[in-house]
Amino acid sequence: MATVLVWALALAVVLSGVAPTLPGPAAAADKALRVGAPLPLTGPLSPEGLKQKRGYDLWVAEVNKAGGIKVGGDRYKVEMVYNDYQSNTPRAVQLAEKLISDDKVNFLFSPFGSGATKAASGVSEKYGIPTIAATASSEEVYNQGYKYLFGTFTPNATLTEPLADIVKGKVGDVKKVAILARNDLFPLAIGQEMEKSAKKRGLEVVFFEKYAIGTLDHASAITQIRAARPQWIFATGYINDLILIRKQMADLGVSAAVVTMIAGPAYKEFAEATGPRAENVTSAAWWHPAVRYKGPDVFGTTENYNKLYQAVYGAVPDYVEASASACGVILQLAIEKAGTMDPRKVRDALASLDATTFFGPVRFGPTGQIVSLEPPVFQIQGGKPVVIYPVAVKQSDLRIGVK
Amino acid sequence: MTLFLQVLANGLVLGGLYACIAAGFSLVWGVLNVINILHGSFIVLGAYVAYFAYVALGIHPFVSVVLAGGVLFVLGYLLQTGVINRVVGAPVLTTLILTFGLDLLLNNAMLVAFKADYRKINLANPLGVVDLGGVFLPLDRVAAMALALLLTGGLYWLLNASRVGRAIVAVRMDREAALLMGVDVPRIYAVTFGLGAVMAGAAGSLLALIFPISPLAGTLYLGKAFVVCVLGGLGSVTGAIVGGLALGVVESFSALVFGPEHALTVSFALLVMLLVVRPTGIVGRRGYE
Repeated sequence: MATVLVWALALAVVLSGVAPTLPGPAAAADKALRVGAPLPLTGPLSPEGLKQKRGYDLWVAEVNKAGGIKVGGDRYKVEMVYNDYQSNTPRAVQLAEKLISDDKVNFLFSPFGSGATKAASGVSEKYGIPTIAATASSEEVYNQGYKYLFGTFTPNATLTEPLADIVKGKVGDVKKVAILARNDLFPLAIGQEMEKSAKKRGLEVVFFEKYAIGTLDHASAITQIRAARPQWIFATGYINDLILIRKQMADLGVSAAVVTMIAGPAYKEFAEATGPRAENVTSAAWWHPAVRYKGPDVFGTTENYNKLYQAVYGAVPDYVEASASACGVILQLAIEKAGTMDPRKVRDALASLDATTFFGPVRFGPTGQIVSLEPPVFQIQGGKPVVIYPVAVKQSDLRIGVK
Repeated sequence: MTLFLQVLANGLVLGGLYACIAAGFSLVWGVLNVINILHGSFIVLGAYVAYFAYVALGIHPFVSVVLAGGVLFVLGYLLQTGVINRVVGAPVLTTLILTFGLDLLLNNAMLVAFKADYRKINLANPLGVVDLGGVFLPLDRVAAMALALLLTGGLYWLLNASRVGRAIVAVRMDREAALLMGVDVPRIYAVTFGLGAVMAGAAGSLLALIFPISPLAGTLYLGKAFVVCVLGGLGSVTGAIVGGLALGVVESFSALVFGPEHALTVSFALLVMLLVVRPTGIVGRRGYE
């Protein structure tokens, strides 16, 4: 009997000694949780990289102010490790590897956009590090069979489908669509998605051309669009392309019942740079400051998020910034749910997460891409983007006519 | 027919802007034998001068051409006397690396100072568009092109009729002989580099009306300047004008015929062909390349 008791005691001591060391060596020492983020902080994509950084930083500030992330009975402060990949995708992949193996980050946030996210996702998969992508929407990123990659943007079709429904329903005489797309992973993919959405509804695609990255002049393409007389002009690219396209449309006297541009009008810089020409331009994005959600995350509500963002950066947040903050919020919810920093358990917690956050409802599909968001459609009215869909958060109706 | 005329007009108006972008670059390359990588960023800096002059003081970008030119002249002159003159005699690769490094510095300084946001000048009273029987001409581009050609013409006059201009041409033709004739070569270098910067700054304020401005947009302009110079012929003002207009028209028509995706491919293919057939450029003279 006595021997049994001694053995039992010994076992208890051993077990209790083992258990706390399980989460890993970094944990107990400084009580900090490190998240790595390769970002394009310089180079042509730097405006986007800086947006993502602002989103992450706001989340980190809020979490640490609240005492850190709760892991079991402990609290961990969050520390971001940024590496600049200079808008050069191969470098993003190298830096993802460096962040994991040299900087020993516990978790990773993906680089900017679908292309670089896809490229870097192989690295985090190899090391089994849960990774959340803030700005990747193309399905090709998620259908690689990876287990550790999660993303906060729904597939591209979720942007073009509601848009096509609204236009078709509201604008009776819309028959012809012209599409001008930047020859780049996301802008081209969304252009092709638009072509499908248009054809599905019996609209004729009278013009579909790609333009090269770094194009300084769109006059020829716009002249051809003018000759094709479409009622709906759909242009894709990044904000600098779209500012130029909008300006040259005006220069060449092109107008249409509906003009849609993705992705640019969500940024306040678009309306500032195009002035009155921005009026009635429609767009869609995965988030908009006018949506209203409430959740258990550090921000609590969308209103509160907007307010905090405004206080820190003196501006209204756009969908890239909010999505970056949402990555943090989602990671935090998963870690707290798992009660550990063990990468495999956090991965499982992410896969089974079902929560509402300031960003919207969060549920990931089998590929890791979010399935629960309903991306808002909006239009610039009176110099500001106002939501015209979904109905629950609608601020105004679609206005027709872009001059 | 209207389509053809419209595309031709688009090309000529674009070409005028290209000529303006390239004139200063060509001057510096021809006289100093320096490939000035900073040129694109000088244009962007000029655009920012015009932007802030318009937003803060309401100065029209056509007027702030003078302001931007002045600011850039001082910057260019000081850079040449303080930095570039020390290695100006070295092989072209050395000066190329130097200006490349300076460009990185200027890029990042502008990123810090102006942030990465895209901006554009929106005139309170835009000039509008004129419709010539179905051919649309945006007046701000036409005016910018006219001013650009005027400036480029002014440079031509300066080089051919003024004392300092003749000294610049003399240095370009034969540095040693100019030195023996009593020309202060380092000062002429500085003035030339300053003038190149003036042209960049002036181009920048005109472009601020047309293109979105961001700190790193300079590389695109630099690429165009490079092509225009090689196309038209190095170191001559007429070369920049001819090369600019040719590039604008070629790009416009190749976008029409082959699709906008291939506009750049076609213009570069033509450039390579021209280099094989006529390496001095369309109006370039042998000996200045």
